[in-house]
Amino acid sequence: MRSKRGTSVAIAAVVAAGLALVVSACGGGSSGGSNNTTSAPAGKTFPTLKVVWGTTDYLDPGLSYRLASWQLFQDVYLGLVVKAHVSCQTDNCAKIEPGLATTTGKVTDGGKDFEFTLRKGIKYSNGEPVKASDFKATIIRDFKLNSPGIGFFSNIVGVDACEANPTKCSDISGIVTDDTAGTVEIKLKTPESDFLYILSIPFTAVVPASTPQKDTENPPPAANGPYYITSYNPSKSFTIKRNPNWKKNEIPAVPNGNPDTIQGTMTDDQSQSAQLVASGQYMYNQNLLPVDRLSFYKQKYPDQIKFFTTPSTYYFFMNTRLAPFDNLKARQAVNYAIDRQQLVNLRGGLGVPTWNFLPPSYPQYKKITPTPYPYDLQKAKQLVQQSGTAGQKVTVYTISDVAVDLSTGEYLQSQLNKIGWKASLKPIAGANYFTIVGNQSTKAQIGFTDWFEDFPYPSDWFNVLLNGERITKVHNNNYGNVDVKSANKEMNRLASLPPDQALSASTNAAWAKVDRTLIVDHAAVAPYLNGILTSFFSSKMNPDCDVFTDNQDDLAQFCLK
Amino acid sequence: MQAAPPPNVFESVATTGQEEFTLDTAAELAAEEGATQIQGKSPWVLAGRRLRRNYVALAFLGVFLLVVVCCLLAPVYVSQVSHIPQNDVRTGAVVVVSGKKVNVISQGGTKIVNGQPVIKFGGVPIGSQWGAAGGKYILGADELGRDVATRLLYGGRNSLFIGITSAAICTILSVVLALVSAYFGGIVDWIISRFFDLIWAFPVVLLGIALGTALSVNGFHHGPINISSGSLWIPIGVISFVFIPYIGRPLRGQVLALRNREFIEAATAQGAGPVRIMFSELLPNVASSVLVLFTLIVANSILTEVGLSFLGAGVQLPNPSWGTMIQEGSRLLSTAPQISLFPGIAIALTVLSLNVFGDGLRDALDPRAKIRIEHG
Repeated sequence: MRSKRGTSVAIAAVVAAGLALVVSACGGGSSGGSNNTTSAPAGKTFPTLKVVWGTTDYLDPGLSYRLASWQLFQDVYLGLVVKAHVSCQTDNCAKIEPGLATTTGKVTDGGKDFEFTLRKGIKYSNGEPVKASDFKATIIRDFKLNSPGIGFFSNIVGVDACEANPTKCSDISGIVTDDTAGTVEIKLKTPESDFLYILSIPFTAVVPASTPQKDTENPPPAANGPYYITSYNPSKSFTIKRNPNWKKNEIPAVPNGNPDTIQGTMTDDQSQSAQLVASGQYMYNQNLLPVDRLSFYKQKYPDQIKFFTTPSTYYFFMNTRLAPFDNLKARQAVNYAIDRQQLVNLRGGLGVPTWNFLPPSYPQYKKITPTPYPYDLQKAKQLVQQSGTAGQKVTVYTISDVAVDLSTGEYLQSQLNKIGWKASLKPIAGANYFTIVGNQSTKAQIGFTDWFEDFPYPSDWFNVLLNGERITKVHNNNYGNVDVKSANKEMNRLASLPPDQALSASTNAAWAKVDRTLIVDHAAVAPYLNGILTSFFSSKMNPDCDVFTDNQDDLAQFCLK
Repeated sequence: MQAAPPPNVFESVATTGQEEFTLDTAAELAAEEGATQIQGKSPWVLAGRRLRRNYVALAFLGVFLLVVVCCLLAPVYVSQVSHIPQNDVRTGAVVVVSGKKVNVISQGGTKIVNGQPVIKFGGVPIGSQWGAAGGKYILGADELGRDVATRLLYGGRNSLFIGITSAAICTILSVVLALVSAYFGGIVDWIISRFFDLIWAFPVVLLGIALGTALSVNGFHHGPINISSGSLWIPIGVISFVFIPYIGRPLRGQVLALRNREFIEAATAQGAGPVRIMFSELLPNVASSVLVLFTLIVANSILTEVGLSFLGAGVQLPNPSWGTMIQEGSRLLSTAPQISLFPGIAIALTVLSLNVFGDGLRDALDPRAKIRIEHG
């Protein structure tokens, strides 16, 4: 998913994640009565948690593809399975655990058939019971919304008609449900090593079949988790309360939660957010701390700030369908023209320079050596000349209301001017940015973007972001329209391996080769850093309760001192 | 022979929208200054004489001209002093300050040690060097290592260019509309007056933001007019448009009062056509008001440009204007206040000087006039 927070992070526990993938997907699955419960002690509950939050695109799980929303969704919208609500620093946060289903599913037919049985008695926040048919309705709703997540469903049997005409989608034969028995069966065209992870992301979080098949935000769709969103004023505020129909410990992997109510004020102003928490008016700041004041805050509030590495990559996309970036030399020139260390520095030092697309926390990561594009402005100029595109107009897209993203865009624009293009800047408000650049009619040439993992497997990076077969007209995640046939083929092959081969040494090496091919041979994108995120708590909060999962803090587990 | 005052120039009484607008008569002025002192002097000469006696207004005119000259000399400043172009990003640059090498932006980074990030914080630009760096970064650097002084001067060029040009265009359009409206009357007057009312109904900044934002997305492309989204002509057009009724309405009132005076009838009797009457007879009689309104609208246009640019609806990044500089600096107020502070001072000086001079000019041309530019 995308973020506006600024920086991202590397996770130590992702290596173990892969193992969970294999274990989970190889049938059987863990039981719903797992002793890995994360339920909070009753004594930690408190009335109100006031948080400062970044603005987001949507607050509908079928539409949002942003970190700010997904962080809220983890305790609101649950799928058949869920990601473990545990800290990546101390535990295996990549583990998939039973959610609405009793187990992580029974996998048969060589990894092509997944079968789940729903827990009994679970109700949505509006009082409706959770039914098996709601899962199918949720996936169909995603198509009707033209959700950015529909690419995840392309391997489901019978989805072709929906893919051809998403808004007319009415049935998917590969999803068979039985409300009486409470079973959900999903048939895939080919084995898919990451499918269980896909079932844990918000696009597959089950919402009532009666949910309107349009952007539903105020209030958002009924929830099935321990909390529900009672109000949402886009870009301004939200309120989340305990789900009155949630039974304590009814899903062991999901915490019951400590705060009774979560009140959020939304802003992208990093200085303002930090000040609101520092002054004690708010209790948690979801935004990145202002980069120029990191030192000050760390010095003044040493015990209230945490830094986390996350599996994320910040990169510049280059539209391979448009001049000048339809030219390999032009794309290489961009890679040579950016000084990655300086881009880290623009973020106050919160980041590690990278030339790989895949973050280093993955077992499939293999550092590309020698460094493929050392900072070399002269070489970049030569490449622009050789490409025959010198003097062409280039528009750099970036986010306008997040200071570091705007600076990053200005930096890129300046560098492109230095190497021979006539670059201009197009800042767009963060709430709309990814929707706009992901629309083909925008014809975005080049710009800032980032990616935080949806789940810890390389298919979430390469297949979602750089597979030419998954380019869409709207909500396109492949902003550069990267379409390297040989790489597409290899990505598809690797993603469809049976689960027991998903983490073999040869598979890992093959993913690493895809990374190298796309970056070195095709300069498909210009990755520049793996980032760091900050969590800032007020003096009322006990940061020791903080559970930072792969990309985010779990609000439900916050506690007071 | 004693020069007869031009007919009615300082005698007209007109309605300026919300308040009565009165101009002196030459006789009243004579009474104030003494008849012998104005003998043989035109009203313009008299106004000049009064203006020369207003030392405060002249001093602020000097301040304004100084600002203008400094901004015009921006290229000279770059070539002879700072040697850093306005948009040149220098994040990794090193500058020698008093013999020691200093990073323009403090350098930081992260190392992962045992899975935990060890962070060295960076990203803070150097402050004002005042000459210790050999002319570079006299007023410090911004977050991208650009020279604040250079951008201040170039930003001033943009802000002043937009302010003055938009005020000039606005004044020309307003004068033409006011003359046409008041001279022809009837349906023409009704249409133009409703047009004034329509724009007047919106607060200036709100309308400016709406138009500026819409046009800054894709620019303006209609017929032969093609203006790209980053062009300075976008804010110029927007500001010219939103201020039209603030000049047009008071002028229309004045022209209406002059429309039926004897000298107009005389011109008509001599066979003068509408265009000649409007521009040769009516316009000279409202020229002093136009001049005063222009100076006041320049200050307001500069302020509006700054506001629009601050909000992202005016000058587009990375081009500097005083508004964009304040906006960019606002996120570094604690650690690099110079980025916002100096453009703020420049705006205050410029607008104050224009307003004080405008008041002086108004007093000189018409000591009893009540011209004010007020907008929401």
